[in-house]
Amino acid sequence: MDLVRALFRVLFRALGLQGLLGALLLGSPAASLAQSPQPIPALSARVMDLTGTLRADQTQTLEARLQAFEQAKGTQIVVLMVPTTAPEDITHYAQRVGDLWKIGRKEVGDGLLLIIAKNDRTLRIATAKTLEGAIPDLAARQVIDRSITPRFREGDYFGGIDAGLTALMALVTGEKLPEPQRSEPGTDWTGALVVFFFAVPILARIASALLGRKGGSLLTGIGMGLLAWLISASVLLAIAVGLIAAVYGLASTVMNWQRHSGSGRGSGGSGSWGGGWSSGSNGGFRSGGGGDFGGGGASGRW
Amino acid sequence: MRLVHLFLAATLTLLLSACGYNDFQKLDEQTKSAWSEVLNQYQRRADLVPNLVATVKGEANFEQETLLRVVEARAKATSIQVTPETLKDPQALQQFQQAQAGLGSALSRLLAVSENYPNLKSNQGFQDLRVQLEGTENRIAVARNRYIQAVQQYNVLARSFPSNLTALALNYAVKPNLSVANEAQISQPPAVDFQKK
Repeated sequence: MDLVRALFRVLFRALGLQGLLGALLLGSPAASLAQSPQPIPALSARVMDLTGTLRADQTQTLEARLQAFEQAKGTQIVVLMVPTTAPEDITHYAQRVGDLWKIGRKEVGDGLLLIIAKNDRTLRIATAKTLEGAIPDLAARQVIDRSITPRFREGDYFGGIDAGLTALMALVTGEKLPEPQRSEPGTDWTGALVVFFFAVPILARIASALLGRKGGSLLTGIGMGLLAWLISASVLLAIAVGLIAAVYGLASTVMNWQRHSGSGRGSGGSGSWGGGWSSGSNGGFRSGGGGDFGGGGASGRW
Repeated sequence: MRLVHLFLAATLTLLLSACGYNDFQKLDEQTKSAWSEVLNQYQRRADLVPNLVATVKGEANFEQETLLRVVEARAKATSIQVTPETLKDPQALQQFQQAQAGLGSALSRLLAVSENYPNLKSNQGFQDLRVQLEGTENRIAVARNRYIQAVQQYNVLARSFPSNLTALALNYAVKPNLSVANEAQISQPPAVDFQKK
């Protein structure tokens, strides 16, 4: 009997139930004590004004500036305007936003956040670690003190943000960062190429099984051309892609007919379809997911 | 025979991955790098102090006691060396934390007192150092937070089934974590106290 009890005790300890109990006991009062912090909105644009302060055309102007800057330099900058960050101070709120959004290119991690809590009259520039050299805390503080808050005090929010962005962009431009990939905002060409080379033979095989060799390759060519036109919006490119696809499709079916005869296994390549196109067709703003915010930046009030 | 070896190797690999051996290695490294970051930021703060003291010294008749306390706290904080052994020893970790917290409170006291000196408040060099200090305190808070989370992950693995058996067999002890009460004190922005003096 004792043996059984001892065994149970060992099992109980091994299962780590003690730890679980302890965590439950410790965890509950802490959770109930903390006032619930402000929720962080989902990242949907480069300029997110939750206070309705900026006019639509002003938001668009800023958005266009930031987009142009990202295309030229690669650095992602996001402006977030919220009514308040209470009960947290803006530093902690900005840290949570940075940790959640991870703005900045995947490999580079160059993200920058400008967060404004309008009713608290506080703001913060948060830099990802990559940019801590380009924008040291002092520089961030100077941007706040010289460019942003003087205009905010006069109620000119757009002017303040605009001037602040100008100063920040100048600082980032001075830093040597990896070049942005030109095609990134448009189409993922490697993905498209992979899909092209895998999908064309399969499509061609299926199509030619249905329509015969010539009809099949013609259909493949037209199909790929249409797809290319949809993605790149260039007719010339579409025709070129269509022609190549038709020839390539014909060639691959001819070769296939000589090797095996009959229908092939068509499902192999289908997996790459989604991956190939989805990255290209998404026109909205997405975080690069590389920004690591380690607490750099500066806060200010007006 | 080779087939048996292959089978054994495969089973062993499966067993190892099932018992969390690799996870232990990964999380252990993670806590180490998180700790390096904590040390890094504490060092950054300690490096700022001489400049700060020099600037404040320029101010005539500044409270000598406050200044002295900062210098002493810095000397104490930098004298405690942190080795991997220290991390395993809760008491040594506690000492380290106390020394750093001492420097933190001495510094915030210095900033509070500096409010009484208009010259210092308008001194650009001092204001710049203040911004840097603020940023460093902030970075310390983030780094500490990340270390706490990394240790938490490691400890959860070390205590939950079945990976706790691996921990038992290979002697992976639960790591002592930074205390949370201290965290709240440190992560608070330096308070300006108008009551005193």
